[in-house]
Amino acid sequence: MGKYYKDTEELYTIYGYFLDNILKDPKIGSKLAKAGIVIKFVYTDPDAEITIDLKNPPKKEGYYGTFYLGKCDIEADVWSSQPADHSHRFWHGLENPIAGVAKGIIKQGGKVTAMLKLLPVIKPTFQQFPIALKEMGREDLIVTK
Amino acid sequence: MYGNTGKIVYINCSTGKTEVVSLDEDVYKKFIGGSGLAAKLFWDYADFDADPLSEKAVLIFTNGPLAGVPLSGTSRMSAVARSPLTGALAESSCGGYFPPQLRYAGYDGIIISGKCTVPSIIHIAHGSFNIVSSEELWGKTVGEAYVKIKEQYGERSRTLIIGPAGEHGVPYACILSDAHHAFGRCGLGAIMGSKNIKAIVIEPHQTIMKYFEEQKVKSLIKELTPRIKEYIISQVLHEFGSAGNLEGHMYTGDVPIKNWTSNFNEEMAEKLTGSTLTEKYLTKTGTCAYCVVACKRIVKVDEGPYSIPEGPGPEYETVAALGCLLGSSDLAAVCKAGRLCNEFGLDSISTGATIAWAMEAFEKGDLTEKDTGGITLRWGDMPTVIDTIIPSIARKEGPLGQLLSKGSRLAAKSINNNLIKYTAQSKGLEAPMHDPRGGGHGHALAYAVSPRGACHVSTAMHFMETGACNYPEIGFEFDLEALTDEKKPETMVLATAIGSIENSACFCQYADRSLTFAEMVGILNAVSGYHYSLQDALDAGWRIYHLKRLINHRFGLRACDDALTERMLEPARDGEPQGIMINFDSMIQRFYELMNMDNVEGVATVDTLHKYGLEQEAAIVWKKRK
Repeated sequence: MGKYYKDTEELYTIYGYFLDNILKDPKIGSKLAKAGIVIKFVYTDPDAEITIDLKNPPKKEGYYGTFYLGKCDIEADVWSSQPADHSHRFWHGLENPIAGVAKGIIKQGGKVTAMLKLLPVIKPTFQQFPIALKEMGREDLIVTK
Repeated sequence: MYGNTGKIVYINCSTGKTEVVSLDEDVYKKFIGGSGLAAKLFWDYADFDADPLSEKAVLIFTNGPLAGVPLSGTSRMSAVARSPLTGALAESSCGGYFPPQLRYAGYDGIIISGKCTVPSIIHIAHGSFNIVSSEELWGKTVGEAYVKIKEQYGERSRTLIIGPAGEHGVPYACILSDAHHAFGRCGLGAIMGSKNIKAIVIEPHQTIMKYFEEQKVKSLIKELTPRIKEYIISQVLHEFGSAGNLEGHMYTGDVPIKNWTSNFNEEMAEKLTGSTLTEKYLTKTGTCAYCVVACKRIVKVDEGPYSIPEGPGPEYETVAALGCLLGSSDLAAVCKAGRLCNEFGLDSISTGATIAWAMEAFEKGDLTEKDTGGITLRWGDMPTVIDTIIPSIARKEGPLGQLLSKGSRLAAKSINNNLIKYTAQSKGLEAPMHDPRGGGHGHALAYAVSPRGACHVSTAMHFMETGACNYPEIGFEFDLEALTDEKKPETMVLATAIGSIENSACFCQYADRSLTFAEMVGILNAVSGYHYSLQDALDAGWRIYHLKRLINHRFGLRACDDALTERMLEPARDGEPQGIMINFDSMIQRFYELMNMDNVEGVATVDTLHKYGLEQEAAIVWKKRK
């Protein structure tokens, strides 16, 4: 098991809360929606899978996309696989995704260029991730440099 | 000899005589080929007292040892001379289709000296070189000359052509290969023009190359090609071109805006990025010989004031230099301005940077209509840039054309020395479109210590600092924080060697990103039989770097010339890097220490030069000093 998440359920709780916030954020959510793709994140240690649908109409009103925790049937346009710990640090703005790919820590497939285009858009969320952890009472998971 | 042919052609344009020079294998092993071999030939053949645009000056083209091998990103060549822009060593690299043909013709390089009595072309066919009068081509744009040459010598001929800027001796004129790929920097086009050479034309030759290990080369090509194609950077380059990550760069503060006075502009990020270019104007992609990446853009702007027919489109540097730097987010205008630079044969980086300097100086009142011949300079005024400024620079016409055709450093000096503070250059070479204040502080060091002046491709620092490569086999396996000086001098030592190897083996810095260092050396050995260990290859890289520094020393450059301008080192005013200072002095001093370089003379110590087998060269430079 990794350093930050004790199990898959804990990972889903945290990412679920965080994604719920950013997918209804008018500034970030609207830019994410422009990508028009379905992204699948596959995590290891703990094993988990999250799909973000920015292509089909959002299932909930007031949201710019839909996310699914766990396996789902929607076909992804692009996928990315990495250790959950690496992803946790990434959402704090502490990991360089290009370096992650160069070192083989992150593996990707499908329309990776479409996902890369989202990097500038999600940059503001790096400040929101620790805030989300704090709101959830999980200051223990906040990572500093 | 394997890979290389061991033969260089020396052409004296004044006498019309050509001579084949044979080189020992040892010279190749010491200097690899490409940029390193050209620097060695320059050392041996150049008249160091000659003006860069005089008859005595030499212009050298050299292939990398892999040119002609059907592997992505390896069919490239270098050109070297003394720069008319900087007075220092000029070097530039180019892909396209010319390098393999030169190899198949039986040669590794061309040394050109003297001056033709009338405008001419150098024609290469059936392995022989001839100087042919071509007065009818003089005055033509690159595209016009290209069409005429193709008509005369056939569709399959390959070309190196200069435009009117080269003919007029603009010190940042470039040389275009097949009217698309460029030896962009340092004014090599002006040197070709000063020799009355409008073009070098090579007719197709039979594909013949000898490899040291035939089977190994074939299996490496088979193994590496899909990996290069599938690598994430290759995919971005293929789909969106080299401007594919302009938007990402913008958010880090890497893209200089309005003459380096700003590091962030959201509108420019969206409107100028590579995906926008693909969506709006791309008609197809182009590529260099044997390359599966295909990062080149072919564009067409159908309507409006900036309409252009289908043809070469802008790369990242052109988009940023003729867009962001000038305060414009009009991508159609960038396409047209870039096309004009190609047609006139101008380096788009130096063109954009010099115009941007003038726009700021004009805005501040330091440059007036008296200096510009009544032309008003305003940020983002692309009609004036396109209709008036670029053509006048290319032809050195009018007060503004004459002023800006000098390049930013000399133009500033000619008005008022104080105006150099607005320039962004090192050694007189305008900086490329990566601002070290946001892109990474190691860039600042790389720009300063690069032999040709501010350059992001003479070393591997750009990619090492952004995390795009990882070489644990030679000790580079750590993550770098972009906006600090931490580990940057140490990284720069390795980056210097890797950059020298890339530019001498002539690996494309895009296509080779997915290769390990050991794989780069492996393919080099398999093709050329150099028998390099990883350490041998690194040593060759450092040897080449030190030789280039010695050349610059003979031109009068010293450590104090390894400098950046005030503008490049002042804290950024906005964006991600706002307010952060670069610890430039400590980085450069540490780099000199690590490289055993004298921090006054700017060259390696005698012992260090001896270690790299540069005894004779050391004797000349250090004896002169004493």
